[in-house]
Amino acid sequence: MYKFFLYSVLIIIYLGLAKTLSPSEIGVQYLQNEKGFSKLVKGPMTTVILVDTHATGFLIKTFYQKYRVILGYDNVEELIVRTSREFAKRNLPNIGLSVYRKFNEKEEFLPLPPGSIYINNSEFGDWKTNKKGEIKWKFKKSFKNFPRFLGWGKFRPDEKFYQDLKTSISLNQTFYGTQNEFGPNGTVTQKNFPHFFKGERKKKVELKTLLFEYFKENF
Amino acid sequence: MAEIFDRLVIRLLLAGFVCLMIYLYRYAHVIFYPTVKRQVLKKIHPSENPADTLHLFSRVVGISIIFSSISFNETTGFFLSLFHFAVWGTIAIVLYLLSLYIIESIVFYNFDYTDEILKRKNMSYAIISFCHALVIAILSRTVMIEAENSIVILLVLWLYMLVIVGFSIKYYTFISKLSFNRLMIQKNMSLCFSYGGFTLGAGFVVASCFDQEHYDITVYCIQVLLKTILSLIIFPIFKKGLVKIFPIKMGDERTLEGHVESDMQSLGYGFFEGCVFISSAILTTMIVNRIQFGTIYPFF
Repeated sequence: MYKFFLYSVLIIIYLGLAKTLSPSEIGVQYLQNEKGFSKLVKGPMTTVILVDTHATGFLIKTFYQKYRVILGYDNVEELIVRTSREFAKRNLPNIGLSVYRKFNEKEEFLPLPPGSIYINNSEFGDWKTNKKGEIKWKFKKSFKNFPRFLGWGKFRPDEKFYQDLKTSISLNQTFYGTQNEFGPNGTVTQKNFPHFFKGERKKKVELKTLLFEYFKENF
Repeated sequence: MAEIFDRLVIRLLLAGFVCLMIYLYRYAHVIFYPTVKRQVLKKIHPSENPADTLHLFSRVVGISIIFSSISFNETTGFFLSLFHFAVWGTIAIVLYLLSLYIIESIVFYNFDYTDEILKRKNMSYAIISFCHALVIAILSRTVMIEAENSIVILLVLWLYMLVIVGFSIKYYTFISKLSFNRLMIQKNMSLCFSYGGFTLGAGFVVASCFDQEHYDITVYCIQVLLKTILSLIIFPIFKKGLVKIFPIKMGDERTLEGHVESDMQSLGYGFFEGCVFISSAILTTMIVNRIQFGTIYPFF
């Protein structure tokens, strides 16, 4: 009994020390849920886009998520956090979407296409008519890199997109674009966040193939 | 051809220099063990006292292990590399003998070298001392390699290593069924095999904890501490597991501890414990050091 007690104490000491002193624990911040963004992300007119998600571990999983933080008037940052299982699972259909926005000290957590806070904001751009006669949103010159940062590629929102976006916000519903351009099934997201959609990350390997590859590599 | 011959000459000269350093060690040994003055400074007669021979030459083995960690860099110049070896060799000798002195003061606090080795020719004492010499040498070598020619880091790591070894040696009384002091007085060989296996095992574990990449000394010390605690958690699992897999029938505990009629049984138990300790320790180093958990790097 005495030995069992000592052994338990040893395990507790190890876990405690590893938690407080391990560099990996100190290096990556923990995000319990979307409410934690306000502590991690500073600056006005900020949008946080979920770029990638990954789970490590065998029995007890640790979930990591990678975000692109676009600080409206400043720069673009990358944020890697550990998250709770529940938040990670909930966020899976939100790849490529903006999951947190902050403007005028107001916070929004509804998943929306990236850059939705900048659309129809005259500080960032204007509605312009292109050669085809379509009215599209165009960022000002000082924000010319935003479509790339936001993962738009060649996509530019039109007025219908903006109206649908406003309707979704009023209904508090996730919006994936007028033609579902964004999100895990969206063509724009798949094209501009290729790392997450890489074939080898998605495919399930059969045991037979796995063993065959193993023997081929090692013998 | 001239270049090859020159390199051979350098190797021969350096070998001679290492012998000179070992000669220096012979006298340094007298400072820490004044009682061996007569044996060390005069001709040694192995047949007269095998225990003393083992005790003395175990340290020669040890110092050779440590010297193997020092490298010659001929590109900096022959004399500078000799000087480097002399400085680090002297530091190694001092730290090694100091470590042995401290560890043996802890382990043999009830025993005296003169009584046990010179008068009683206690082979059990000599073999345990041999194991200490080997373990301290392996650990000092690891610490010297990790210090990467920095004396400050070497001193910090050496003190750290001594603390860990001191605690791990005390762990023996906790996990062994053999009574150290009682069996040592009886010159019981089972003790030296059991304790020898334990010490060597503990040495491998601690050396593996120290053997890791480091960029920052604080983070390195934390990692070593964490690995040491982890080893303390893993080691009993293997020890218990091996005992369960290979169950032994033990006699009465009294007969185990050195009665003349049960010498063979006692010796067998010593072998058993020693082998279990050393195997458990080696397996522990595998679990602690050889599992690659990877990082999130390939994904992010």
